[in-house]
Amino acid sequence: MTTTRSVEATIRFPYKRSLGPVMGAFMTALTEQRFLGIRSGERVLCPPREWDPDTAADLSADDLVEVGPAGTVESWTWVSSPSAAHPLDHPFAFALIRLDGADTALLHAVDVASPDALSTGMRVAPRWKAERVGHITDVEAFVPGEVPQGGGGAGAEEPVTMMDYDAAITYTTPVTRNEMRAEAANAEGRFLGLECPACARVYLGGRGFCPIDALELGPEHEVELSQRGTITNYTIIEPVQYPGQTETEPFARVHVLLDGSDVILGYQPVVEFPVGDVRIGARVAAVWNDTKVASGGGIELDGWIPTGEPDDTDPNLVNRIC
Amino acid sequence: MATHPPDDIAIIGWHVSPMIRRTELTEAQMLLEVVNGATAHAGITNADVDFTCAGSCDYVAGQAFSFVQNIDAFGAWPPKRDSHVEMDGAWALYEAWVRLLVGDLDVALVTGSGRSSTADPDIVYPMEMDPYYLAPLGVDAMSFAALQARVLLDGGVVTERQMAEIAARCRRDARANPHAQVAGDFDVDALLAEDYVREPLRRHDLPPITDGACAVVIARADKARELCENPVWIRGLSHCAEIHYAGLRDLRQAESITRAAKAAGVGDAPVEVAELQTAFTHEEPLVAAALGLGADVVVNPSGGPLAANPIMATGLVRIAEAARQIRDEGRHRTLAHSTSGPCLQQNLVCVLEGE
Ligand SMILES: [Zn+2]
Repeated sequence: MTTTRSVEATIRFPYKRSLGPVMGAFMTALTEQRFLGIRSGERVLCPPREWDPDTAADLSADDLVEVGPAGTVESWTWVSSPSAAHPLDHPFAFALIRLDGADTALLHAVDVASPDALSTGMRVAPRWKAERVGHITDVEAFVPGEVPQGGGGAGAEEPVTMMDYDAAITYTTPVTRNEMRAEAANAEGRFLGLECPACARVYLGGRGFCPIDALELGPEHEVELSQRGTITNYTIIEPVQYPGQTETEPFARVHVLLDGSDVILGYQPVVEFPVGDVRIGARVAAVWNDTKVASGGGIELDGWIPTGEPDDTDPNLVNRIC
Repeated sequence: MATHPPDDIAIIGWHVSPMIRRTELTEAQMLLEVVNGATAHAGITNADVDFTCAGSCDYVAGQAFSFVQNIDAFGAWPPKRDSHVEMDGAWALYEAWVRLLVGDLDVALVTGSGRSSTADPDIVYPMEMDPYYLAPLGVDAMSFAALQARVLLDGGVVTERQMAEIAARCRRDARANPHAQVAGDFDVDALLAEDYVREPLRRHDLPPITDGACAVVIARADKARELCENPVWIRGLSHCAEIHYAGLRDLRQAESITRAAKAAGVGDAPVEVAELQTAFTHEEPLVAAALGLGADVVVNPSGGPLAANPIMATGLVRIAEAARQIRDEGRHRTLAHSTSGPCLQQNLVCVLEGE
């Protein structure tokens, strides 16, 4: 099966996280241009954890101790072409840095002009951001030497308890040939179905295979679906005026079981069908509009209109949800 | 034939998809091929499968609950018991193995699938790291590996030349693997003359970016015997994790591998072939040493992850390849290793035996 098209979508992940007593104290100290480690047995861990990595024993915020601000590079790698997620937009190093007084290494960026300036064992100090919020990126990067750079201003007035993390990933997903054929059929005012050669179930066009038999479906399995059907379920929505919501009055979304098939079209709009009349068993027909055809677009489904036929009274209709 | 207690569990079929940089198939379509391939290889139909367990990743797929759609490829009707791990399919196999040990089900189908071309792996990977100290820095898999590589280089555990030799050997061995994405004859000096991608790692030290999937069918002893003339017995299976934050670990060691190997009984008898999920060249000597493998053990005859690295399936492919060594290459005892997390954080070891 080949495709000729893909769709691109960017998903944002705007997380807010609570920090707890140990990491909260660490992040608060960053706003004050200080690093905290935590005593764990014989060792001082930095960054601090809430438990001993060897014994899983709880570690207490009372055991936090100041470390750094300078430290020693234990390992480094040169990032010649940074990603959009990296902290610097020009070539830099990631390094494992053991801050003075700590027994473990903090992973952070080191900002130097070229990898020639880097070596294991080199001394580095933080370059602080001017505005610090209690976030690991309050350290813009480490730089060679013993003396912290940048910074200024005061620390947080209140202990930092939360942090933001806002990531975004752009995905490119293939549109399958079946999906394109189904879209093309819709643009002609038709519903395409796919009939499984094994179980004879009929699915809405676009699906790649019968999920019952794990059989691939293609153009040879296509059938024309009815433009009429029966409502199997519905919901009435009281519109909340979120950005982009164009509805102002309560409106219906219905599930329609197409005649002569197992296909249910979910969450469909209705046409000339008062909200109070919408019901399970009502007979409906597709209504299409061709307003975009003149401008080169396809026919579009407006929704479902009552046919006036007697209702289907099968009590099991409501059990059909997909 | 040796007799096996009913709780012995065997691999009875598997299928590996083509391994390519960018597939035009959806993840479910990739799975459809390997599911039907593995059940055919096992000589069963979907109706014989009692339990399914998939390994995949929503962040890779770009869709919440993407595994629910992937179930479409399993032929899950009448309804089957199903589970999913947000991990490599090797861990799905571990769960299926544990599930069959309960004793009430006989046959399980395990998959691993990843469509890395859907998004930029360097952007996806940090999402799965420590959200306080690591993810906000966008630390990617290559950078973690490079930091560990330098520790091993500084510590004299490996040299850049050895790393290039490992890459050349894997690519050479991969010529015989129809699923390999990177294969061929390469000169070590020429490889070493190339620029660094993430110093100290060059391109040959890195795995390719791969779309691919794998499925494996396992069965309890009596059923395995009934369905299959030459089952591949799972002799030991264990996994172990250590602390996530790499700066808190001694990166010259891989204690979790050693523990998992001991629990899986690696040292109980000689291993002939080891398929290791060493996606970066410098990891191979570290993992081999942590497993306690001798110099006579053949490592990654398939070319390993340096030849094809379908994220979320790479470890399960190692198990399929280790099984293939017994079924098709006449080996008696082989090992598969899978890993997850930065700098070999979590490790799974599977010991397989023929009759
Ligand atoms: Zn069917």
